[in-house]
Amino acid sequence: MKIVFKINGKQVSMEVKPSLLLIDLIRDVLKLKGTKPGCLEGECGACSVIVDGEAINSCMYLAINVNGKEVSTIEGLTGTENPLHKVQDKMLEHGAVQCGFCTSGIVMTTKAYSDKCLEEGITPTREEVKKSLEGNLCRCTGYAKIIDAAEAVYKK
Amino acid sequence: MKNIDSKGHVTGKSIYLDDIPTIQGTLFGVIFDSPVAHGHIESIDYSKALALPGIQTILTSKEIPGENQIGGIFPDEELFAEEDVHFQGQPIALILAESEHIAFQARKLIEIKITEKEAIVDPREARKKNQLIFPPRTFSLGNTDSAWSQCAHIFEGQADTNGQEHLYIEMQGAYASPLENGNIRVSSSTQGPTAVQRTIAKVLGMGMHKIEVDVVRLGGGFGGKEDQATPWAVMAALGAHVLKKPVKVVLHRMDDMRMTGKRHPYSSDYKIGLHEDLKILAYEVIFHQNAGAAADLSPAVMERTLFHSTNSYFVPNVKATAYSCKTNLPPNTAFRGFGGPQGMFVIEAALVHAANELGISAHELQKKNLLQDGDEFPYGQIAADVGLTQIWSDMEAKFDIKGAEKRVSDFNSKNSDKKKGFSLQPIAFGISFTKTPMNQARALVHIYSDGSVGVSTGAVEMGQGVNTKMLQIAADMFSIDPSKVRLESTNTTRVANTSPTAASATADLNGKALQNACYALLTRLKKSAADHFGSAASDIQFKDEQVINSGKATDMTWNQLIDQAFLERVCLTENGHYATPIINFDKEKEKGHPFAYHVYGLALTEVTVDCIRGTYEFDSVKIVHDFGESMNLPVDIGQIEGGLVQGIGWMTMEELDYDKKGKLRSNSLSTYKIPDIYSVPKEVLIEALETEGAEQAILKSKAVGEPPLMYGLGAYFAIQNAVRAFNPDAQQTFDAPFTHEKVLMGLYQI
Repeated sequence: MKIVFKINGKQVSMEVKPSLLLIDLIRDVLKLKGTKPGCLEGECGACSVIVDGEAINSCMYLAINVNGKEVSTIEGLTGTENPLHKVQDKMLEHGAVQCGFCTSGIVMTTKAYSDKCLEEGITPTREEVKKSLEGNLCRCTGYAKIIDAAEAVYKK
Repeated sequence: MKNIDSKGHVTGKSIYLDDIPTIQGTLFGVIFDSPVAHGHIESIDYSKALALPGIQTILTSKEIPGENQIGGIFPDEELFAEEDVHFQGQPIALILAESEHIAFQARKLIEIKITEKEAIVDPREARKKNQLIFPPRTFSLGNTDSAWSQCAHIFEGQADTNGQEHLYIEMQGAYASPLENGNIRVSSSTQGPTAVQRTIAKVLGMGMHKIEVDVVRLGGGFGGKEDQATPWAVMAALGAHVLKKPVKVVLHRMDDMRMTGKRHPYSSDYKIGLHEDLKILAYEVIFHQNAGAAADLSPAVMERTLFHSTNSYFVPNVKATAYSCKTNLPPNTAFRGFGGPQGMFVIEAALVHAANELGISAHELQKKNLLQDGDEFPYGQIAADVGLTQIWSDMEAKFDIKGAEKRVSDFNSKNSDKKKGFSLQPIAFGISFTKTPMNQARALVHIYSDGSVGVSTGAVEMGQGVNTKMLQIAADMFSIDPSKVRLESTNTTRVANTSPTAASATADLNGKALQNACYALLTRLKKSAADHFGSAASDIQFKDEQVINSGKATDMTWNQLIDQAFLERVCLTENGHYATPIINFDKEKEKGHPFAYHVYGLALTEVTVDCIRGTYEFDSVKIVHDFGESMNLPVDIGQIEGGLVQGIGWMTMEELDYDKKGKLRSNSLSTYKIPDIYSVPKEVLIEALETEGAEQAILKSKAVGEPPLMYGLGAYFAIQNAVRAFNPDAQQTFDAPFTHEKVLMGLYQI
């Protein structure tokens, strides 16, 4: 099947098998390795990417479903010359990173949620920040610093 | 200093095993494994699988040129099962195909006939049937037999802990490439590059020098990649050797969970005797370790259980015996704490049991029996610089133990459908590999002619920040900007014969080796500078990339000195070696001084149990921890927060479930739950014990990897405390994890 979509701002058109998963399109076809496979069943959130503003698990999403949509991966968050995105900055500042394997999923999930909050003019509570990350697992940090970092994204 | 990998992580640029660019012609391996836990292989028909387009070949034990043997401590584990299978998930063959997808399809086409045999999953049953991995061991102190008559109170019971899946988010994997002259280069997601190298050499029947193992970083290890990263790396290397093509083997999550061992489940019996004054007089314990189907690291894990059988307490008469029981589960393996937590849980259970029976608070008993300087551990080491009494009084002063107790009891008297509970959890964890020869490390340092520095050590970075600590050491010792230092991958051609990154001791061992290397380089550089200035080497210092002569800044920079030294043909490379002094252990006598030092600490856990639903929430965990003098507090606090939550997970929600036939039912993340963002305590407060630090620790900064996991034990006892507040008749059982289901049963048990 032919699909046309935007990835990290770039228009792409390609032939894909209907059974191809988005994560495999991203990692194996487009060679964007920042998106990580964790559980391959939609439980851990390591493979989170943003499709039309929503954070989704790319291991549970068929590639053909991005036809006509806009996909962002961690690689699209910063250009080589750009400073870090605020979410990345806060993750760094709060030391919310250990092994790093869940990190890009957490960054993308938080990015999607913070964009939404910004758009709607909302400053989420700590509980709402936690809720936004309920689909992301981290085995190293015990989450404390991840919550702190995500919460800091909304502070002026 | 923040973890030096952080920026790569938050931008998605850090490279893990599965991100290494694929070499053209790479074959992908998928493992065909045993569908049953115990049986005899009658026949296997690979023909349909082999006929699938895109399949290259299927490797079995027949293609192994060397030994079909991967056992690390004992040679009791085949790479590929030949005649019998001993656990569900035991590898039988490696399917190699042009794509992983094709290899998975082929796996479904393999037809195997197995005559099933009876499977043992319970360690006590294995002991009854005399199925032991190796003979039992006993640690003893004093004489328990004669002590019982002096005890005013004696309590006996059983305490069990279930296993724990490591759940590193990055799955197991390796990527092997054939080089010229039959050499092989292997990238592996392993905590033990040398173990991988040694085992590949054995299986391929060649020298270790022909195998290069490289590790950039791990997406989590927790012990699960200490010994059990090896099989996949050996399989990839075997494929590369046989087919002369690059081979990549990366497990999918369900394969990973099914095929790999976990933290050892233990089932134990205790008997504790107290004097009238509530001092522990005698303690006997029998541990049944569920080792699984092969030894793996079980002997060492069992030993650490014995070493930690009395946790933070002094007991004058001890008899601790452990059985390593052979069952038909995957070989259980290292997991943060390495048997220590399982040993500590039992004595904590015994103390809680005694306190409940005596109608006193468990913490009264705990406090009364805390280890003091000069006390003897059951293994002969004399406790020194014990921080426990100070830690306890710091806890009282900073976090108000009595206040917590009152808060809990006030809440409980006012609420009927919610109850609070609390617990105190002291820890004393020994640092060093208990196998003395493993306590050595090396570091290779190059100063390049432009003044920049490359550092290689035997330490593997897996998120714990060891590379950050290594970089700190080199940058501080040379007094140069950290950006001038590069931490290289862990590679067996640069640093050989490494101990695995384990036992919390990696920063100590490799850091001290690195210090030795830097010191030797500094000595040569000082001489070079002194010759230039006509002063003595002892007058030379380095500060912020400037050479200081007799306390005064000179116009010579670090870069200029390096340039000069190079022209003078001074050697700018050094290999540092370190072996921990003092330590020893005599296995015949089961006595010695196995640990360089101990890490101490105390956690105060408060929990609220919903007595209608059986759910619970941790209100807070307050910790006083003995860091020594932390060399990197943000990194060390990260270890405490993460270790604590992993320990809480083990004690509460992580329910490993094998059925009676040894089949793993909790075989994916949808059936095995690890702590998510809601499972963490609402508040985690950490205070550092003020101490002068331990000389044996790197820069007096004590090891921090494993000890905090054991603060999580307090979660179990806090929940039990709350359950008993609701139902004082709840039976005294100690059977972790305390799942919501078990809480509900406890609340309404008659």
